[in-house]
Amino acid sequence: MRIKCPYCGERALEEFTYRGDATVKRPRSLESDAAEAWTDYVYFRHNPAGLHREHWYHGAGCHAWLTVTRDTRTHEIVAVEFADKREGT
Amino acid sequence: MSRPLASVSGLAGLTVPGSYGAKVGELGVTIAERTGLGIATVAACKGKSEALKAAARKAYGVELPERSIVASGRDILFIGTGPGQWLAVSEKYANEELARELAGRLQGLASVADQSGGRTVIRISGPRARDVLAKGLPIDLDPRVFPSNGAATSTISLMGVQLWQADDTPAYELAIFRSLSGSFWRWLAASAAEFGYEVKPG
Ligand SMILES: [Zn+2]
Repeated sequence: MRIKCPYCGERALEEFTYRGDATVKRPRSLESDAAEAWTDYVYFRHNPAGLHREHWYHGAGCHAWLTVTRDTRTHEIVAVEFADKREGT
Repeated sequence: MSRPLASVSGLAGLTVPGSYGAKVGELGVTIAERTGLGIATVAACKGKSEALKAAARKAYGVELPERSIVASGRDILFIGTGPGQWLAVSEKYANEELARELAGRLQGLASVADQSGGRTVIRISGPRARDVLAKGLPIDLDPRVFPSNGAATSTISLMGVQLWQADDTPAYELAIFRSLSGSFWRWLAASAAEFGYEVKPG
């Protein structure tokens, strides 16, 4: 599998570290009634057969966090963007 | 004030000038360490990208690159290493003088950190330079895809490298972490041997 980093160009998988689902949102609240939201955020993940948005870190390259859209059935990568939209601007 | 610490090459005791490896046909590769360089990292402060670019233009007559290429400013090379990040290399501003110079001119716009004691810079040139690098670098340096001002941050044999093309000889310069100098040198000497290589004094 190769990932086309928007800064470095196409690079091999060994240069990247996988972080996981890019769509989960960290709950804002620290109140006890937010326990369910925190459980969802920390533990529960969908396991789609198809497109998955996920974070990858280009640790051996430009050190940018990337949001990669990957088809979990084929490993085809359909999109790669900077996770922080301000980067590269 | 006491005398500053003398700089010692990360390759001291490892490299001896001379000819090595295969001795058939033309010399394949020339290797030389670049010593005494000023090396520093420059990272744009949040929201200051445009002001930083303007300051670099004014101070060094350079357009800070937004992709992985090398740009020459007055007495300093700026190598794009990531979004909002550059590696600066200079002969004129030797050793830690470069970080001092940059920090002064780019104050409030960028974080500057001296790297001159933390990197070893090696110049690899000659007709077989690309063949040597191809043994460890997972990037195609062929001129059809890698521009003559190209740069890349990647790995060679699992060791992190920052590489930029210095001229079309072709010559490439590689900054490696100083503590990996010995391991890197063994990889380089073994990889260049079949082409014949000359080690020039640094
Ligand atoms: Zn990258």
